[in-house]
Amino acid sequence: MSTLVFSFFWPDTMAFEVLMWTTIATVCAGLLFVIVKKHLLPYVFRRLGEAGFTLFFILTTVFILLRAIPGGPFDADKKLPPEVIANLEKKYGMNDTLWAQYYKHMKGVLTGDLGESYKYVSRPVAGIIKDSFPVSLKLGIYSLIVAYLIGIPLGVFAASKHNTKWDTISMFFAMGGVTLPSFLIAALLILFFSFKLELLPPGLWEGPEYYILPVITLGLRPAAMIARLTRSSALDVIKNDFIRTAYAKGLGYQVVLFKHVLRNSLIPVLTYSGPLIADVLTGAFIVEHIFAIPGMGKHFVMSVQNRDYPLVMGLAMVYSIVLVASNLLVDVFYSVADPRIRLA
Amino acid sequence: MLRASVFLISFLLLFGCTKKEQKLEYGLKMGETLRVNLMSEPPTVDWHKATDTTSANVMDNIMEGLTQFDLDDPEMRPIPALAAEWSTTKDAKKWTFILRQGVKWTDGVELEAQHFVDGWERLLNPATAAEYAYFLHSIKNAQAYTAGKIKNFSEVGVKILDKYKLEITLERGVAFLPMLMTHASTFPFRKDVYEKYKTAWTNPGNIVTLGPFTLKIWDHDKNLVLERNENYYGPKPWLKNVLGYMVVEQSTALSLFEGGRLDIIPEVPYTEISRLRDRKEFYSAPELTTQYYGFNVHIKPFDNPKVRKAIYMAVDREELVKMHNVGHVAASTFVPEGMMSYEAGMKVPFDPQTSKALLKEAGFSDLAKFPKLTINYNTNENNKRTAENIQAQLKKNLGLVVEIQNEDWKVYIARLTQNCPAVWRLAWGADYPDPDNLLNLWLSQSGNNRGKWSNAKYDSLIESAMAELDTGKRKALYHQAQAILQDEVPIMPWFYSRRQYMRNSRVKGYKFNPIDKRIYKTVTLEQ
Repeated sequence: MSTLVFSFFWPDTMAFEVLMWTTIATVCAGLLFVIVKKHLLPYVFRRLGEAGFTLFFILTTVFILLRAIPGGPFDADKKLPPEVIANLEKKYGMNDTLWAQYYKHMKGVLTGDLGESYKYVSRPVAGIIKDSFPVSLKLGIYSLIVAYLIGIPLGVFAASKHNTKWDTISMFFAMGGVTLPSFLIAALLILFFSFKLELLPPGLWEGPEYYILPVITLGLRPAAMIARLTRSSALDVIKNDFIRTAYAKGLGYQVVLFKHVLRNSLIPVLTYSGPLIADVLTGAFIVEHIFAIPGMGKHFVMSVQNRDYPLVMGLAMVYSIVLVASNLLVDVFYSVADPRIRLA
Repeated sequence: MLRASVFLISFLLLFGCTKKEQKLEYGLKMGETLRVNLMSEPPTVDWHKATDTTSANVMDNIMEGLTQFDLDDPEMRPIPALAAEWSTTKDAKKWTFILRQGVKWTDGVELEAQHFVDGWERLLNPATAAEYAYFLHSIKNAQAYTAGKIKNFSEVGVKILDKYKLEITLERGVAFLPMLMTHASTFPFRKDVYEKYKTAWTNPGNIVTLGPFTLKIWDHDKNLVLERNENYYGPKPWLKNVLGYMVVEQSTALSLFEGGRLDIIPEVPYTEISRLRDRKEFYSAPELTTQYYGFNVHIKPFDNPKVRKAIYMAVDREELVKMHNVGHVAASTFVPEGMMSYEAGMKVPFDPQTSKALLKEAGFSDLAKFPKLTINYNTNENNKRTAENIQAQLKKNLGLVVEIQNEDWKVYIARLTQNCPAVWRLAWGADYPDPDNLLNLWLSQSGNNRGKWSNAKYDSLIESAMAELDTGKRKALYHQAQAILQDEVPIMPWFYSRRQYMRNSRVKGYKFNPIDKRIYKTVTLEQ
C-alpha cells in the first residue's frame, strides 16, 4: 500500500538517480569545501603528482607480470597452424622486443590510446571501460550508501549498549556479514525474494527493482566491517574523560553519541574506506556474475584468464586511478574527523 | 543519523519491491519476440575473426553461406543456401557453385560471386590474421597466401566464372567441401561496406547482411536484438525479434527461465539436471563432442602401445558416465555418436584381466614397479570429477598409484604445446559433422596431435577418405583408420557429452541439433 502511494508521486528510477547524483555531489562539494577551507590545495596537487609515479609503477609491474605468466592470448585447444599464429603475432606486435611493446603501451597511455582488446575483436579498450564502468559505479555507490548507513549506526549503537544483549545481537549480525561469502548471501536473497516472495528479479540490470538484491549483497560485507570497526573504536572513545565531561555538562545521550563519540571513532572507518571505495566502485566479479550485471568486475577476472593484455592494462589503470583518488579523499576527510591531523 | 538510515534503507527496499508487469526492453513486444540466452557477450560478429560459439550463434542468424545444414536430417548433410546447386569432379578437387539469383543484401545490393571471393581474400590475407583462415587451406595456394609466400590472390584457386558462378580448385580432393561452406568464416563479404566503416563495420547500423534476421541493437554485455529481415530471400521468419541476453552464470539463467524471463536457455547447471529431467521444457541432445585423454607416446612407458591399451582397458567408461549422471554416453570410437562412422561395436572392452596380462607382456609383472602416473587436466569441476574417478578405478583395478594435476586453462594449453605431459585431457567438439573433422587430429603433421603419435597407414587412410566421394567407401576407410586407433590407443575417448536445454512451451519449431546451431528462422510462438 505504502509502495503504491509512494511510487505515485515519485517515479522510482528517478529516485535512484537522484540518490546517486546527490551522493556524488555531496561528496564532491564536501571535498572542495574542506580543501578550500583548510588550504589543502598545494597538498592535493602534490599528491596528484605522486599519483603519476604510482600509476607508472603499477602499469610497469602489471606489464611485466602479464608477460611472465605462461600462456598467451592465442593459445587455444584447437591448435592453429603456424602461419596463422605468425600472422596474429605480427598483427598484435608480439614479435617486437619487450622494450618496444612496453614503449608502445606507455606511449598509448600518455596519448589516451589504450589499444584494442584481443578477445573482443576490434573493440577499443577505452570503449569497453566506458560501457562497463558506469554500471559498476552505480552498483558501487548504492552499495556504499547501504554500507555506511547500516554500518556506522549499528557500530555506535552496539558500543553504546556495550555488554548488553543488543550489543551481542548487533555483533552477531556483523560477524555474519563479514564471514558469509557473497555468493551465499546472493543465493539466499534470490531464494527468498525472487522465489518465495516473488518480489524481485533474480538477475539482470534493467531498472531499480533489479538493483536491490545486488546492492544488498555487495553492501553487506562492508557494512559489517564498518560496524565492527566503528564499535571497537567507539568503545575506546566512550572511555575518554571528555565524554564524561560532556555528560556532566548536561548534554543528552544522543548528542553525546553522535556528536562526540561518533566523530572521534571514524578514523579507523576512514582508513578502511580508501581501499573499500576503490574495490566496490570498480565492480565486484561475483556479484556481477551471479546477478548478470554488465559491469566491469567480470573483465578484471576474464581479461587475465584470456590473456587480453591491452584490456588488463586498461583495467589496472582505471583501478589504480580510483584507488589513488579514494585514498586522497580519505586523507582529506581525516582532517575533518580529527582536527589534530594536519595535512601539508 | 539513525532515523535517516532507517528511512533511506526502507525507502530503497520499498521502491525495489514494486511488483511490475513484465515488459521487454527496447520497446519489443512479448508476443513476437523470442528471448534467448546467448550465455556471454559475443566477442565479435566479424565472421572472419569470430572463433567462438556465441558469435556463431548471432552470425548464423544474420548471415548465410553457400550451403546450410539440413537440421531435419540426423546426419546434418548440407543443403542449398546461397548456392542453388553445386557439382564436383570425380577426384573432388574442382568444385563449381552456382549462386541463387536475386538474393539481396540489407542495403538492396544483389549478391554476386565477387562477394565470396572478397570474403575469402580477406579471410586468407595475412594482414587480417584470421584464426579460421585454415578452414579454406585446402584451396590451392591458400595456405601459401596466408603464409605470405604468395602475394597475388589471383594465384589462389578461386575463380569467378560469371556473376553467379564460382569455381574452386583444391590442393587435394575434399569430399566434404559443401559442409565447410556452412561455416561463418566462408560467408560472403561486402568490401565496400568494410572500406567505408573499417573496424566499425560490424556495428548495428553499419553492418550489411543477408540472413533471416538483421542486427538491430547491441547493448554490450547486456542485450543484443535481432530483427526480421524483410528482404530475406527464403521464407520470412515468423518472429519479429530475437532478444539475446548475456547471462553467463548458468543458475541465474535457469532462475530467469523459471521466472518466465527467458524462452530458451542452451545450458543448465549439472547439479540441477536431476531435478529438471522430467519437466516437459527439458531437452537433452548429443552434441558431437568427445571427451578424451591423450598419451604423449614419446614418454616411457607410454611409448609401448600395450601399456597404453592396458591403461585404457582398466577403466570402466560406463562407471564414469554413471558417476556424472547427466546423460553422457560412454565412448567407443573417437568419432562421437550421431556422426557418420560412429561404431558402437568397435569399443575397446573394459577388461582388467587382459589389462594386467598386457602390462605383464610389456614387462610390468610387478605393478608396484609401474612408474608414477600423473593425469593432467585444466581446472574445471567436471574435469576434476572425471580425473578422480579414473584415478580411483586405476587404483582399484590395477593397483596403480595415480596423481592428478590441474592448471589454469591458458597455462595448461601452453604446456600441452610446449612440453606435452604423459597423460593429458582435452575434448573436441566437431566444427562440422564429418568424421574427418575429428580423425584428422591424429595425422602425423596435425598441430592438435599433441602426443606426437604417428602412423603412416593411418595417415594414408585418412587422406584417401578425405577425397572419397562414395559414402560407402569412405565409411570403410574410416573403419580401418579407427581400428588402428583402437589398437594403438594414442588417445582414450571416455564419453560423448550431451547438451541440456530448457525451452519454454510457448516456443514451437526450434530445431535442436547435435552441431548446436541455434537457428531461429523456423521458430514460432504460441500466443
